[in-house]
Amino acid sequence: MGKVKRPKISEVVSIIAHQLKNPISIFKNYLEVLISEELGPLNQKQKEYLSDILENVKNLDKTANHLLDAYLIEEKKYKLKKEKFSLGKIVKEVIEDFSAWALAANCQIFFKEEKNLPNVVSDPFKIRQVVENLISNSIKYKNPGPQKIEISLKRKGKFVLFSCKDEGIGIPKSDFKKVFKKFYRSEKAMELDPTGSGLGLFINKAIVKLSKGRIWFKKNKGPGMTFYFTLPISNGK
Amino acid sequence: MENKKHKILMIDEDKFLRKVYRDKFSREGFEFLEATTGVEGLNKIFFEKPDLVILDLILPGKTGFDVLIEAKMKKETKDIPIIILSNLSQESDVKRGLELGAIDYLIKSEVSLSEVVKRVKESILKLNK
Repeated sequence: MGKVKRPKISEVVSIIAHQLKNPISIFKNYLEVLISEELGPLNQKQKEYLSDILENVKNLDKTANHLLDAYLIEEKKYKLKKEKFSLGKIVKEVIEDFSAWALAANCQIFFKEEKNLPNVVSDPFKIRQVVENLISNSIKYKNPGPQKIEISLKRKGKFVLFSCKDEGIGIPKSDFKKVFKKFYRSEKAMELDPTGSGLGLFINKAIVKLSKGRIWFKKNKGPGMTFYFTLPISNGK
Repeated sequence: MENKKHKILMIDEDKFLRKVYRDKFSREGFEFLEATTGVEGLNKIFFEKPDLVILDLILPGKTGFDVLIEAKMKKETKDIPIIILSNLSQESDVKRGLELGAIDYLIKSEVSLSEVVKRVKESILKLNK
């Protein structure tokens, strides 16, 4: 079988994605005001519908951002704003942000952090994006029933190692080589979340690589996968 | 915040964005001025002397960067704080905006309306100290 050629994200697509960002920001601002009930109380159903719209607008925003990021990665114009920061703080914030969603999805998140971990160097905003993507994948692509997600941070030589282990649907072995490629989505993933862009892991890899770290995954002995990435420790701690 | 109504000028081409900001800032007790182009914005900066400017970068005619440069060049307006609120998220744009004298650079899709109001209040408080 010949090698599958993955489509390039053209400049036109990146321009369209960029133009979408303005109306998306406006939708978000208007929804924020309505949902906050600053303009008057809403009934439960109105709140629920507006929150659903907001969730979809956020998905659209994420897709537009993914297309723009992937375009810049392809063009070798993707840049990080590096500084030193605590990876543990970011992981805790993401877990906190996802706690209601995880609970609703019947997922229990456990976090173990080695004591006195030094700061790392990268772009904290982009790394937050990587952490969000990996944890949200574990929540989204779960098997029915309760599930455990174990996240850990520890020192590994001159790096801090992040790991996220789940009990989810996993990735078929035949797809392993494609996981970090553009637009890769497993069949099961497409069933569970048809809206995903298939660009999250491709972008994660670029972010970690530009940070001089490494990202990889392993199939668990039991169900699910474990994703890992490392980031260099800051010299100035 | 003290009782004086602080004057905010928003320079942004988009009427929907200006509307939601106008309503929000008015509810928060600010006087809210608007401009849709760089030239109109510069005139309002000069004649109205707002307490703070929220500036988009992509504008018809003069860009937001042009507005920033010109406002910072004039003695009468150089101290008026300017916050950039743009969809341009490239590091080079952020760097340029801050180097030209903006006190903050916010990316539209990444910041909530309440967060912008919070930053504006904090900036005004800091400047009034």
